[in-house]
Amino acid sequence: MLLTPEVLTILILNGIFALFSIVAFVLSIKIFLRWNIDSTSELQYKLEKESFLASTIIKYIFTIKVPLFLFFIFALDKISNVITGAMCAAGVVDATNSGAYLIILKIINLYLFAHWLKLHNQDMTDKNQPYTKLKFGLFIGLFFLFMVEIVLEFIMFSSIEIDKMVSCCGSIYSSSSTSAISTLFTLDTSLLLSIFYGNYLLIVLFYFLKNRYIFTTLNIIFIPVSLISLILFFGTYIYELPSHHCPFCYLQSDYYYVGYLIYFLLFMGTFYGLVVSFVKETKASYIASLLFNSLYVILLSLYIAAYYIKNGVLL
Amino acid sequence: MIKLKNIIKQYEVNSQNIVIALKGIDLHIKEGELVVLRGASGSGKSTILSLIAALSKPTSGEVLVNGDRISKLPDNFAADFRRHSIGFVFQKYNLMPMLSAKENIILPLVPMNLSSDEIEEKLKRVLKMFQIEHKENQLVKNLSGGEQQRVAIARANINNPKIILADEPTANLDEKLSLAFIEILKELKVEGKTIVIATHDPLFFGLDIVDREIEIYQGSIV
Repeated sequence: MLLTPEVLTILILNGIFALFSIVAFVLSIKIFLRWNIDSTSELQYKLEKESFLASTIIKYIFTIKVPLFLFFIFALDKISNVITGAMCAAGVVDATNSGAYLIILKIINLYLFAHWLKLHNQDMTDKNQPYTKLKFGLFIGLFFLFMVEIVLEFIMFSSIEIDKMVSCCGSIYSSSSTSAISTLFTLDTSLLLSIFYGNYLLIVLFYFLKNRYIFTTLNIIFIPVSLISLILFFGTYIYELPSHHCPFCYLQSDYYYVGYLIYFLLFMGTFYGLVVSFVKETKASYIASLLFNSLYVILLSLYIAAYYIKNGVLL
Repeated sequence: MIKLKNIIKQYEVNSQNIVIALKGIDLHIKEGELVVLRGASGSGKSTILSLIAALSKPTSGEVLVNGDRISKLPDNFAADFRRHSIGFVFQKYNLMPMLSAKENIILPLVPMNLSSDEIEEKLKRVLKMFQIEHKENQLVKNLSGGEQQRVAIARANINNPKIILADEPTANLDEKLSLAFIEILKELKVEGKTIVIATHDPLFFGLDIVDREIEIYQGSIV
Protein backbone atom coordinates (compact mmCIF):
# COMPACT_ATOMS: atom_id res chain seq x y z
CA MET A 1 0.00 0.00 0.00
CA LEU A 2 1.14 3.47 -0.85
CA LEU A 3 1.36 5.34 2.44
CA THR A 4 2.11 8.98 1.80
CA PRO A 5 1.24 11.46 4.58
CA GLU A 6 -1.89 12.45 2.61
CA VAL A 7 -3.05 8.84 2.20
CA LEU A 8 -2.36 8.13 5.87
CA THR A 9 -4.39 11.18 6.85
CA ILE A 10 -7.33 10.02 4.72
CA LEU A 11 -7.17 6.45 6.02
CA ILE A 12 -6.93 7.49 9.68
CA LEU A 13 -9.82 9.92 9.27
CA ASN A 14 -11.84 7.22 7.51
CA GLY A 15 -11.21 4.85 10.43
CA ILE A 16 -12.39 7.43 12.95
CA PHE A 17 -15.40 8.37 10.81
CA ALA A 18 -16.38 4.73 10.31
CA LEU A 19 -16.32 4.10 14.05
CA PHE A 20 -18.43 7.12 14.93
CA SER A 21 -20.80 6.66 12.01
CA ILE A 22 -21.64 3.14 13.22
CA VAL A 23 -22.75 4.68 16.55
CA ALA A 24 -24.79 7.30 14.66
CA PHE A 25 -26.24 4.61 12.38
CA VAL A 26 -27.52 2.49 15.28
CA LEU A 27 -29.07 5.57 16.92
CA SER A 28 -30.53 6.70 13.57
CA ILE A 29 -32.42 3.44 13.11
CA LYS A 30 -33.88 3.77 16.60
CA ILE A 31 -34.86 7.40 16.06
CA PHE A 32 -36.27 6.79 12.58
CA LEU A 33 -38.49 3.97 13.78
CA ARG A 34 -39.74 5.43 17.04
CA TRP A 35 -39.63 9.23 16.73
CA ASN A 36 -42.89 10.97 17.69
CA ILE A 37 -42.37 14.65 18.40
CA ASP A 38 -45.82 14.99 20.05
CA SER A 39 -45.15 12.28 22.60
CA THR A 40 -44.10 13.16 26.16
CA SER A 41 -43.07 9.62 27.01
CA GLU A 42 -39.78 8.58 28.55
CA LEU A 43 -38.76 6.97 25.27
CA GLN A 44 -39.33 10.15 23.25
CA TYR A 45 -37.30 12.31 25.68
CA LYS A 46 -34.53 9.71 25.46
CA LEU A 47 -34.70 9.78 21.66
CA GLU A 48 -34.50 13.59 21.71
CA LYS A 49 -31.24 13.36 23.67
CA GLU A 50 -29.93 10.64 21.38
CA SER A 51 -30.93 12.56 18.27
CA PHE A 52 -28.80 15.45 19.48
CA LEU A 53 -25.84 13.11 19.93
CA ALA A 54 -26.34 11.33 16.61
CA SER A 55 -26.89 14.51 14.59
CA THR A 56 -23.81 16.10 16.18
CA ILE A 57 -21.70 13.09 15.15
CA ILE A 58 -23.08 13.08 11.61
CA LYS A 59 -22.78 16.84 11.29
CA TYR A 60 -19.09 16.82 12.18
CA ILE A 61 -18.31 13.83 9.96
CA PHE A 62 -20.02 15.38 6.93
CA THR A 63 -18.70 18.87 7.65
CA ILE A 64 -15.19 17.42 7.42
CA LYS A 65 -16.01 15.00 4.58
CA VAL A 66 -17.29 17.66 2.17
CA PRO A 67 -14.09 19.74 2.03
CA LEU A 68 -12.08 16.53 2.37
CA PHE A 69 -13.09 15.78 -1.22
CA LEU A 70 -10.75 18.55 -2.33
CA PHE A 71 -8.03 17.09 -0.11
CA PHE A 72 -8.60 13.69 -1.72
CA ILE A 73 -8.05 15.19 -5.17
CA PHE A 74 -5.00 17.03 -3.83
CA ALA A 75 -3.69 13.71 -2.42
CA LEU A 76 -4.14 11.99 -5.81
CA ASP A 77 -2.28 14.82 -7.45
CA LYS A 78 0.62 14.43 -5.01
CA ILE A 79 0.70 10.64 -5.50
CA SER A 80 0.97 11.14 -9.25
CA ASN A 81 4.55 12.32 -8.67
CA VAL A 82 5.62 8.83 -7.58
CA ILE A 83 3.64 6.74 -10.05
CA THR A 84 5.35 5.92 -13.30
CA GLY A 85 3.55 7.52 -16.22
CA ALA A 86 1.06 9.54 -14.18
CA MET A 87 1.20 13.29 -14.81
CA CYS A 88 -1.71 14.25 -12.54
CA ALA A 89 -4.57 12.76 -10.50
CA ALA A 90 -6.09 11.29 -13.67
CA GLY A 91 -3.28 8.75 -13.90
CA VAL A 92 -3.77 7.72 -10.27
CA VAL A 93 -7.53 7.29 -10.77
CA ASP A 94 -6.81 5.17 -13.81
CA ALA A 95 -4.15 3.15 -11.99
CA THR A 96 -6.71 0.94 -10.24
CA ASN A 97 -9.99 -0.68 -11.21
CA SER A 98 -11.89 1.09 -8.43
CA GLY A 99 -10.59 4.63 -9.08
CA ALA A 100 -13.25 5.79 -11.54
CA TYR A 101 -16.10 4.30 -9.49
CA LEU A 102 -14.73 5.94 -6.38
CA ILE A 103 -14.63 9.38 -8.01
CA ILE A 104 -18.22 9.03 -9.26
CA LEU A 105 -19.39 7.82 -5.84
CA LYS A 106 -17.53 10.63 -4.13
CA ILE A 107 -19.24 13.24 -6.31
CA ILE A 108 -22.68 11.73 -5.57
CA ASN A 109 -21.86 11.54 -1.85
CA LEU A 110 -20.61 15.10 -1.88
CA TYR A 111 -24.05 16.34 -2.91
CA LEU A 112 -25.86 13.97 -0.55
CA PHE A 113 -23.71 14.83 2.48
CA ALA A 114 -24.10 18.53 1.79
CA HIS A 115 -27.85 18.01 1.51
CA TRP A 116 -27.94 16.23 4.83
CA LEU A 117 -26.10 19.17 6.41
CA LYS A 118 -28.58 21.63 4.90
CA LEU A 119 -31.51 19.51 6.06
CA HIS A 120 -30.04 19.34 9.55
CA ASN A 121 -29.51 23.07 9.57
CA GLN A 122 -33.18 23.63 8.65
CA ASP A 123 -34.26 21.15 11.29
CA MET A 124 -32.32 22.94 14.01
CA THR A 125 -33.84 26.32 13.16
CA ASP A 126 -37.40 25.09 13.80
CA LYS A 127 -38.42 24.30 17.37
CA ASN A 128 -40.73 21.53 16.13
CA GLN A 129 -37.79 19.79 14.38
CA PRO A 130 -39.88 18.88 11.30
CA TYR A 131 -37.06 17.16 9.42
CA THR A 132 -35.74 14.91 12.21
CA LYS A 133 -37.28 11.69 10.96
CA LEU A 134 -36.37 12.51 7.37
CA LYS A 135 -32.75 13.39 8.13
CA PHE A 136 -32.14 10.22 10.13
CA GLY A 137 -33.90 8.16 7.45
CA LEU A 138 -31.64 9.77 4.89
CA PHE A 139 -28.60 9.00 7.00
CA ILE A 140 -29.52 5.32 7.18
CA GLY A 141 -29.22 5.21 3.38
CA LEU A 142 -26.17 7.46 3.33
CA PHE A 143 -24.38 5.27 5.86
CA PHE A 144 -24.12 2.45 3.31
CA LEU A 145 -22.86 4.78 0.58
CA PHE A 146 -20.43 6.25 3.10
CA MET A 147 -19.11 2.81 4.03
CA VAL A 148 -18.81 1.79 0.36
CA GLU A 149 -16.80 4.96 -0.22
CA ILE A 150 -14.47 4.16 2.68
CA VAL A 151 -13.99 0.57 1.47
CA LEU A 152 -13.38 1.68 -2.15
CA GLU A 153 -10.91 4.28 -0.92
CA PHE A 154 -9.03 1.62 1.02
CA ILE A 155 -9.07 -0.76 -1.96
CA MET A 156 -7.87 1.96 -4.27
CA PHE A 157 -4.95 3.07 -2.10
CA SER A 158 -3.96 -0.52 -1.31
CA SER A 159 -3.96 -1.59 -4.97
CA ILE A 160 -1.79 1.21 -6.32
CA GLU A 161 1.52 -0.18 -7.55
CA ILE A 162 4.09 2.54 -7.92
CA ASP A 163 6.35 0.52 -10.23
CA LYS A 164 3.53 -0.29 -12.62
CA MET A 165 3.27 1.93 -15.66
CA VAL A 166 -0.03 3.87 -15.87
CA SER A 167 -1.54 6.04 -18.58
CA CYS A 168 -1.13 9.79 -18.46
CA CYS A 169 -4.11 12.11 -18.71
CA GLY A 170 -3.21 12.93 -22.29
CA SER A 171 -4.04 9.41 -23.40
CA ILE A 172 -6.94 8.81 -20.96
CA TYR A 173 -8.83 11.92 -22.05
CA SER A 174 -8.53 11.52 -25.79
CA SER A 175 -10.55 10.10 -28.64
CA SER A 176 -8.09 7.20 -28.82
CA SER A 177 -8.67 6.19 -25.22
CA THR A 178 -9.75 2.60 -24.65
CA SER A 179 -12.21 3.63 -21.93
CA ALA A 180 -15.76 4.96 -22.24
CA ILE A 181 -14.33 8.47 -22.15
CA SER A 182 -13.44 8.20 -25.85
CA THR A 183 -17.14 8.17 -26.73
CA LEU A 184 -17.40 11.72 -25.36
CA PHE A 185 -15.14 12.89 -28.12
CA THR A 186 -17.67 11.89 -30.74
CA LEU A 187 -19.94 14.71 -29.51
CA ASP A 188 -20.26 17.77 -31.67
CA THR A 189 -18.65 20.72 -29.84
CA SER A 190 -21.00 23.38 -31.16
CA LEU A 191 -24.01 21.28 -30.15
CA LEU A 192 -22.47 20.73 -26.72
CA LEU A 193 -21.87 24.45 -26.26
CA SER A 194 -25.44 25.20 -27.32
CA ILE A 195 -26.68 22.77 -24.69
CA PHE A 196 -24.31 24.25 -22.06
CA TYR A 197 -25.27 27.88 -22.59
CA GLY A 198 -28.91 26.94 -23.27
CA ASN A 199 -29.04 25.05 -20.00
CA TYR A 200 -27.58 28.03 -18.16
CA LEU A 201 -30.04 30.46 -19.78
CA LEU A 202 -32.93 28.21 -18.78
CA ILE A 203 -31.61 28.24 -15.19
CA VAL A 204 -31.66 32.05 -15.34
CA LEU A 205 -35.19 32.01 -16.80
CA PHE A 206 -36.54 29.67 -14.13
CA TYR A 207 -34.81 31.68 -11.44
CA PHE A 208 -37.20 34.49 -12.38
CA LEU A 209 -40.17 32.16 -12.91
CA LYS A 210 -39.42 30.50 -9.53
CA ASN A 211 -40.51 27.03 -10.56
CA ARG A 212 -38.55 25.01 -8.03
CA TYR A 213 -38.81 21.58 -9.64
CA ILE A 214 -37.80 22.72 -13.11
CA PHE A 215 -35.06 24.87 -11.56
CA THR A 216 -33.70 21.82 -9.72
CA THR A 217 -34.00 19.56 -12.78
CA LEU A 218 -32.05 22.07 -14.84
CA ASN A 219 -29.36 22.18 -12.17
CA ILE A 220 -29.13 18.38 -12.11
CA ILE A 221 -28.71 18.36 -15.91
CA PHE A 222 -26.17 21.18 -15.60
CA ILE A 223 -23.77 18.94 -13.60
CA PRO A 224 -22.92 16.41 -16.38
CA VAL A 225 -23.32 19.02 -19.12
CA SER A 226 -20.80 21.25 -17.36
CA LEU A 227 -18.33 18.46 -16.69
CA ILE A 228 -18.45 17.21 -20.27
CA SER A 229 -18.15 20.79 -21.62
CA LEU A 230 -15.23 21.36 -19.32
CA ILE A 231 -13.43 18.25 -20.56
CA LEU A 232 -14.21 18.64 -24.23
CA PHE A 233 -14.09 22.38 -24.71
CA PHE A 234 -13.30 24.80 -21.89
CA GLY A 235 -10.35 22.81 -20.53
CA THR A 236 -8.45 23.28 -23.77
CA TYR A 237 -8.67 27.06 -23.31
CA ILE A 238 -7.40 26.84 -19.75
CA TYR A 239 -4.42 24.79 -20.97
CA GLU A 240 -4.22 26.73 -24.23
CA LEU A 241 -3.69 23.37 -25.91
CA PRO A 242 -6.31 21.94 -28.29
CA SER A 243 -5.38 18.34 -27.47
CA HIS A 244 -5.30 18.57 -23.66
CA HIS A 245 -8.66 17.63 -22.10
CA CYS A 246 -7.71 16.53 -18.59
CA PRO A 247 -10.17 17.56 -15.82
CA PHE A 248 -7.42 17.31 -13.17
CA CYS A 249 -4.38 19.17 -14.47
CA TYR A 250 -5.82 22.62 -13.77
CA LEU A 251 -5.87 21.67 -10.11
CA GLN A 252 -2.09 22.03 -10.20
CA SER A 253 0.05 25.06 -9.41
CA ASP A 254 0.92 25.50 -13.13
CA TYR A 255 -2.65 26.70 -13.63
CA TYR A 256 -2.83 28.60 -10.34
CA TYR A 257 -5.08 25.89 -8.83
CA VAL A 258 -7.97 27.37 -10.82
CA GLY A 259 -9.59 23.91 -11.00
CA TYR A 260 -10.48 24.12 -7.30
CA LEU A 261 -12.31 27.38 -7.95
CA ILE A 262 -14.07 25.97 -11.03
CA TYR A 263 -15.30 22.87 -9.22
CA PHE A 264 -16.21 24.87 -6.13
CA LEU A 265 -18.40 27.23 -8.17
CA LEU A 266 -20.06 24.36 -10.04
CA PHE A 267 -20.72 22.47 -6.82
CA MET A 268 -22.14 25.45 -4.95
CA GLY A 269 -24.34 26.58 -7.84
CA THR A 270 -25.86 23.19 -8.50
CA PHE A 271 -26.04 22.28 -4.81
CA TYR A 272 -28.23 25.29 -4.00
CA GLY A 273 -30.21 24.53 -7.14
CA LEU A 274 -31.04 21.16 -5.63
CA VAL A 275 -31.72 22.59 -2.17
CA VAL A 276 -34.79 24.58 -3.38
CA SER A 277 -36.62 21.33 -4.13
CA PHE A 278 -35.11 18.80 -1.76
CA VAL A 279 -34.77 20.87 1.42
CA LYS A 280 -36.55 24.23 1.43
CA GLU A 281 -37.48 26.76 -1.20
CA THR A 282 -35.88 30.00 -0.07
CA LYS A 283 -34.98 33.14 -1.93
CA ALA A 284 -31.42 32.86 -0.58
CA SER A 285 -30.98 29.40 -2.15
CA TYR A 286 -32.25 30.63 -5.54
CA ILE A 287 -29.87 33.59 -5.40
CA ALA A 288 -26.91 31.45 -4.27
CA SER A 289 -27.53 28.96 -7.07
CA LEU A 290 -27.79 31.61 -9.75
CA LEU A 291 -24.81 33.53 -8.40
CA PHE A 292 -22.43 30.54 -8.29
CA ASN A 293 -23.64 29.12 -11.61
CA SER A 294 -23.23 32.54 -13.24
CA LEU A 295 -19.72 32.94 -11.83
CA TYR A 296 -18.91 29.47 -13.15
CA VAL A 297 -20.15 30.28 -16.66
CA ILE A 298 -18.47 33.72 -16.65
CA LEU A 299 -15.16 32.27 -15.47
CA LEU A 300 -15.08 29.61 -18.20
CA SER A 301 -16.24 32.08 -20.87
CA LEU A 302 -13.51 34.51 -19.82
CA TYR A 303 -10.88 31.89 -20.65
CA ILE A 304 -12.19 31.75 -24.22
CA ALA A 305 -12.39 35.55 -24.46
CA ALA A 306 -8.88 35.93 -23.03
CA TYR A 307 -7.48 33.39 -25.49
CA TYR A 308 -9.20 35.11 -28.41
CA ILE A 309 -7.97 38.56 -27.39
CA LYS A 310 -4.45 37.23 -26.93
CA ASN A 311 -4.23 35.11 -30.09
CA GLY A 312 -6.93 36.46 -32.40
CA VAL A 313 -8.23 32.93 -33.11
CA LEU A 314 -10.19 30.24 -31.34
CA LEU A 315 -8.93 26.71 -30.76
CA MET B 1 -49.32 30.32 32.84
CA ILE B 2 -47.16 27.45 34.12
CA LYS B 3 -48.41 23.89 33.86
CA LEU B 4 -46.63 20.71 34.87
CA LYS B 5 -48.42 17.58 33.64
CA ASN B 6 -47.63 14.20 35.15
CA ILE B 7 -43.94 15.01 35.51
CA ILE B 8 -41.55 12.22 36.36
CA LYS B 9 -37.89 13.07 36.75
CA GLN B 10 -35.21 10.48 37.34
CA TYR B 11 -31.49 11.05 37.75
CA GLU B 12 -29.28 8.18 36.72
CA VAL B 13 -26.36 8.22 39.12
CA ASN B 14 -25.07 5.05 37.48
CA SER B 15 -26.66 2.03 35.80
CA GLN B 16 -27.43 0.48 39.22
CA ASN B 17 -28.56 3.62 40.98
CA ILE B 18 -31.48 5.70 39.77
CA VAL B 19 -32.84 8.53 41.91
CA ILE B 20 -36.48 9.40 41.35
CA ALA B 21 -36.67 13.14 42.06
CA LEU B 22 -40.28 13.73 40.97
CA LYS B 23 -43.05 11.12 40.92
CA GLY B 24 -45.84 12.25 38.61
CA ILE B 25 -46.21 15.92 39.58
CA ASP B 26 -49.23 17.92 38.35
CA LEU B 27 -49.06 21.64 39.02
CA HIS B 28 -50.76 24.76 37.69
CA ILE B 29 -49.47 28.23 38.53
CA LYS B 30 -51.51 31.22 37.35
CA GLU B 31 -50.12 34.46 35.97
CA GLY B 32 -49.12 36.91 38.70
CA GLU B 33 -49.16 34.27 41.43
CA LEU B 34 -46.46 34.03 44.09
CA VAL B 35 -46.03 30.38 44.95
CA VAL B 36 -43.76 28.91 47.58
CA LEU B 37 -42.57 25.36 47.12
CA ARG B 38 -41.69 24.09 50.56
CA GLY B 39 -40.03 20.90 51.57
CA ALA B 40 -36.89 19.37 52.98
CA SER B 41 -33.61 19.18 51.09
CA GLY B 42 -33.83 16.61 48.33
CA SER B 43 -37.63 16.70 48.17
CA GLY B 44 -37.62 17.83 44.50
CA LYS B 45 -38.24 21.60 44.81
CA SER B 46 -35.16 22.66 42.85
CA THR B 47 -35.90 20.05 40.19
CA ILE B 48 -39.31 21.64 39.62
CA LEU B 49 -37.67 25.06 39.19
CA SER B 50 -35.09 23.71 36.75
CA LEU B 51 -37.88 22.12 34.69
CA ILE B 52 -39.89 25.37 34.58
CA ALA B 53 -36.73 27.23 33.52
CA ALA B 54 -36.04 24.61 30.81
CA LEU B 55 -32.66 23.99 32.42
CA SER B 56 -33.44 20.29 32.37
CA LYS B 57 -35.97 18.01 30.72
CA PRO B 58 -38.37 15.65 32.45
CA THR B 59 -37.98 11.90 32.12
CA SER B 60 -41.64 11.91 31.05
CA GLY B 61 -44.54 14.35 31.19
CA GLU B 62 -44.88 17.87 29.95
CA VAL B 63 -44.07 21.42 31.06
CA LEU B 64 -46.03 24.27 29.48
CA VAL B 65 -45.33 27.97 29.93
CA ASN B 66 -47.82 30.34 28.33
CA GLY B 67 -49.07 27.40 26.24
CA ASP B 68 -45.59 26.61 24.86
CA ARG B 69 -44.34 23.08 25.47
CA ILE B 70 -40.99 24.15 26.85
CA SER B 71 -40.01 20.63 27.93
CA LYS B 72 -39.95 19.74 24.22
CA LEU B 73 -37.79 22.65 23.16
CA PRO B 74 -34.42 21.86 21.56
CA ASP B 75 -31.52 23.28 23.57
CA ASN B 76 -30.95 26.37 21.39
CA PHE B 77 -34.64 27.33 21.70
CA ALA B 78 -34.62 26.59 25.43
CA ALA B 79 -31.77 29.08 25.88
CA ASP B 80 -33.77 31.67 23.96
CA PHE B 81 -36.84 30.99 26.10
CA ARG B 82 -34.82 31.42 29.32
CA ARG B 83 -33.26 34.63 28.09
CA HIS B 84 -36.60 36.27 27.37
CA SER B 85 -39.03 34.72 29.82
CA ILE B 86 -37.20 33.57 32.94
CA GLY B 87 -35.30 35.31 35.71
CA PHE B 88 -33.53 32.79 37.91
CA VAL B 89 -32.06 33.60 41.33
CA PHE B 90 -29.78 30.77 42.38
CA GLN B 91 -29.07 29.72 45.96
CA LYS B 92 -25.39 30.61 45.63
CA TYR B 93 -26.19 33.47 43.22
CA ASN B 94 -23.87 32.06 40.51
CA LEU B 95 -22.21 35.44 39.92
CA MET B 96 -18.89 35.87 38.14
CA PRO B 97 -16.52 36.99 40.94
CA MET B 98 -13.99 38.59 38.61
CA LEU B 99 -16.60 40.84 37.02
CA SER B 100 -18.14 44.00 38.43
CA ALA B 101 -21.75 44.18 39.57
CA LYS B 102 -22.68 46.02 36.40
CA GLU B 103 -20.96 43.44 34.16
CA ASN B 104 -22.71 40.60 35.97
CA ILE B 105 -26.09 42.24 35.60
CA ILE B 106 -25.81 42.86 31.86
CA LEU B 107 -24.42 39.39 31.15
CA PRO B 108 -27.77 37.97 29.89
CA LEU B 109 -27.93 40.81 27.33
CA VAL B 110 -24.63 39.88 25.66
CA PRO B 111 -26.08 37.39 23.11
CA MET B 112 -28.91 39.78 22.20
CA ASN B 113 -26.79 42.29 20.23
CA LEU B 114 -28.44 45.31 21.82
CA SER B 115 -27.06 48.81 21.38
CA SER B 116 -25.10 50.30 24.27
CA ASP B 117 -27.92 52.80 24.84
CA GLU B 118 -30.47 50.02 25.22
CA ILE B 119 -28.19 48.12 27.60
CA GLU B 120 -27.61 51.28 29.65
CA GLU B 121 -31.32 51.95 29.85
CA LYS B 122 -32.10 48.43 31.08
CA LEU B 123 -29.20 48.54 33.52
CA LYS B 124 -30.30 51.84 35.04
CA ARG B 125 -33.81 50.50 35.61
CA VAL B 126 -32.67 47.48 37.64
CA LEU B 127 -29.88 49.32 39.48
CA LYS B 128 -32.44 51.81 40.70
CA MET B 129 -35.10 49.19 41.39
CA PHE B 130 -32.79 47.14 43.61
CA GLN B 131 -30.88 50.12 45.05
CA ILE B 132 -27.39 49.11 44.01
CA GLU B 133 -26.44 52.12 41.85
CA HIS B 134 -23.53 52.96 44.15
CA LYS B 135 -22.06 49.46 43.81
CA GLU B 136 -22.23 49.04 40.05
CA ASN B 137 -18.48 49.26 39.40
CA GLN B 138 -17.33 47.11 42.33
CA LEU B 139 -16.21 43.52 41.80
CA VAL B 140 -18.92 41.23 43.13
CA LYS B 141 -16.41 39.26 45.19
CA ASN B 142 -15.95 42.42 47.30
CA LEU B 143 -19.68 42.82 47.95
CA SER B 144 -21.56 41.59 51.04
CA GLY B 145 -23.95 38.62 50.85
CA GLY B 146 -27.01 40.87 50.71
CA GLU B 147 -25.48 43.04 48.00
CA GLN B 148 -24.51 40.00 45.99
CA GLN B 149 -28.08 38.78 46.21
CA ARG B 150 -29.36 42.13 44.95
CA VAL B 151 -26.97 41.88 42.01
CA ALA B 152 -28.27 38.35 41.32
CA ILE B 153 -31.89 39.57 41.44
CA ALA B 154 -31.03 42.54 39.23
CA ARG B 155 -29.44 40.17 36.72
CA ALA B 156 -32.55 37.97 36.81
CA ASN B 157 -34.68 41.05 36.05
CA ILE B 158 -32.54 42.75 33.42
CA ASN B 159 -34.71 41.37 30.60
CA ASN B 160 -37.88 42.18 32.49
CA PRO B 161 -39.05 38.53 32.44
CA LYS B 162 -42.58 37.59 33.38
CA ILE B 163 -41.46 34.69 35.55
CA ILE B 164 -39.03 34.87 38.47
CA LEU B 165 -37.75 31.64 39.95
CA ALA B 166 -35.73 31.65 43.16
CA ASP B 167 -34.02 28.61 44.60
CA GLU B 168 -33.43 28.89 48.37
CA PRO B 169 -32.89 32.64 48.00
CA THR B 170 -32.38 33.32 51.70
CA ALA B 171 -30.22 30.30 52.54
CA ASN B 172 -27.08 32.45 52.83
CA LEU B 173 -28.67 35.54 54.39
CA ASP B 174 -29.32 36.65 57.94
CA GLU B 175 -32.87 37.52 59.03
CA LYS B 176 -32.53 41.25 58.31
CA LEU B 177 -31.36 40.64 54.73
CA SER B 178 -34.01 37.95 54.29
CA LEU B 179 -36.68 40.48 55.23
CA ALA B 180 -35.18 42.91 52.75
CA PHE B 181 -35.50 40.21 50.10
CA ILE B 182 -39.16 39.79 50.94
CA GLU B 183 -39.61 43.54 50.36
CA ILE B 184 -38.11 43.08 46.90
CA LEU B 185 -40.54 40.24 46.27
CA LYS B 186 -43.42 42.55 47.15
CA GLU B 187 -42.24 45.02 44.51
CA LEU B 188 -41.92 42.28 41.91
CA LYS B 189 -45.41 41.01 42.72
CA VAL B 190 -46.82 44.51 42.33
CA GLU B 191 -45.25 44.56 38.88
CA GLY B 192 -47.33 41.48 38.04
CA LYS B 193 -44.52 38.94 37.89
CA THR B 194 -45.23 35.28 38.42
CA ILE B 195 -42.88 34.16 41.18
CA VAL B 196 -41.99 30.65 42.28
CA ILE B 197 -39.74 30.22 45.30
CA ALA B 198 -38.27 26.92 46.43
CA THR B 199 -37.39 27.21 50.10
CA HIS B 200 -37.43 25.56 53.48
CA ASP B 201 -37.00 28.92 55.25
CA PRO B 202 -39.96 29.33 57.66
CA LEU B 203 -39.81 33.10 57.07
CA PHE B 204 -41.80 32.56 53.87
CA PHE B 205 -44.52 30.47 55.41
CA GLY B 206 -47.77 32.29 56.04
CA LEU B 207 -46.61 35.54 54.42
CA ASP B 208 -49.48 37.70 53.18
CA ILE B 209 -47.87 38.17 49.75
CA VAL B 210 -47.68 34.44 49.18
CA ASP B 211 -50.69 33.19 47.23
CA ARG B 212 -50.02 29.49 47.69
CA GLU B 213 -47.70 27.19 49.59
CA ILE B 214 -47.13 23.79 48.06
CA GLU B 215 -45.54 21.10 50.16
CA ILE B 216 -43.22 18.74 48.32
CA TYR B 217 -42.31 15.49 49.99
CA GLN B 218 -40.10 12.86 48.40
CA GLY B 219 -40.94 13.93 44.86
CA SER B 220 -44.70 14.28 45.31
CA ILE B 221 -47.06 17.14 46.15
CA VAL B 222 -48.57 16.54 49.57
